[in-house]
Amino acid sequence: MTDKPDSDEELISDASASPDTQLPPRDILDIEPVYEALGHSRRRYLCYTLLEDTEWSLTDLATKIAAWENDVPEHAVTEDQREEVYVSLYHAHVPKLVDEGVITFDDVTETITTAEHAQQVLTALEGIGASLDSNQEQHARGDMDE
Amino acid sequence: MSERSDDGIMDADDPTGGADTPYTQVAQRHYEPDGHGGLTTAIVHAIAEAEGVSPSEVKSPPLYESVDVPAIEDAFFGPDVSEESLQVTGTVEFQYTDYLVKVRSDGWIQIYEPSEPEQV
Repeated sequence: MTDKPDSDEELISDASASPDTQLPPRDILDIEPVYEALGHSRRRYLCYTLLEDTEWSLTDLATKIAAWENDVPEHAVTEDQREEVYVSLYHAHVPKLVDEGVITFDDVTETITTAEHAQQVLTALEGIGASLDSNQEQHARGDMDE
Repeated sequence: MSERSDDGIMDADDPTGGADTPYTQVAQRHYEPDGHGGLTTAIVHAIAEAEGVSPSEVKSPPLYESVDVPAIEDAFFGPDVSEESLQVTGTVEFQYTDYLVKVRSDGWIQIYEPSEPEQV
């Protein structure tokens, strides 16, 4: 950014320019995964947990999210509640975040780890969370109560 | 995928209707948009019932790879769906492994599997 003091002007002129003349700066293009990643409360919760630890098992994540959503301690989460969240993570939210480059998922161990776009998503989330979403953030970052 | 040639795999609006239909319904489940859990979960539960396994055992591939479920959710059950459009039933169908999955705008999720030719 520092070597492009006139980036605002470039952006405006880019709107009418052909794609091959001048693309927007890379950091502008990369805002897309941030919005896509944070568009569902379960994905936001998952991203909050990544602020605390960069590797999670899918079962632990499902347990934490079910505890948050049902407002019970982790040890009181029922198998049905956990399974409901687990299924939506496995079939929807985890592959979505993998697609957006926020996490990687190991099929065999069923663990997720941060990927190349994690940092910018987490940075955005910290800014949002502090003002709008702090209860969820605190819960996600808290210790498991098992 | 199928070796069956032109016996009308997709030519009927309702695959249960035609006598020579190659698909048989094996499970169905009603999705409640206001209930707990999303459409993805409801579809996976229906597939699990068809397979005779628990929902967490339905794997490979994730449903995400087959179809854009949030788009169906938005189109049929989203906040912008008007009362008038609910008067008619729309259906989206897609393939998940060997299953044909139908999602209807009235909330019914129906799972079909290819019929064995010998089996009647």
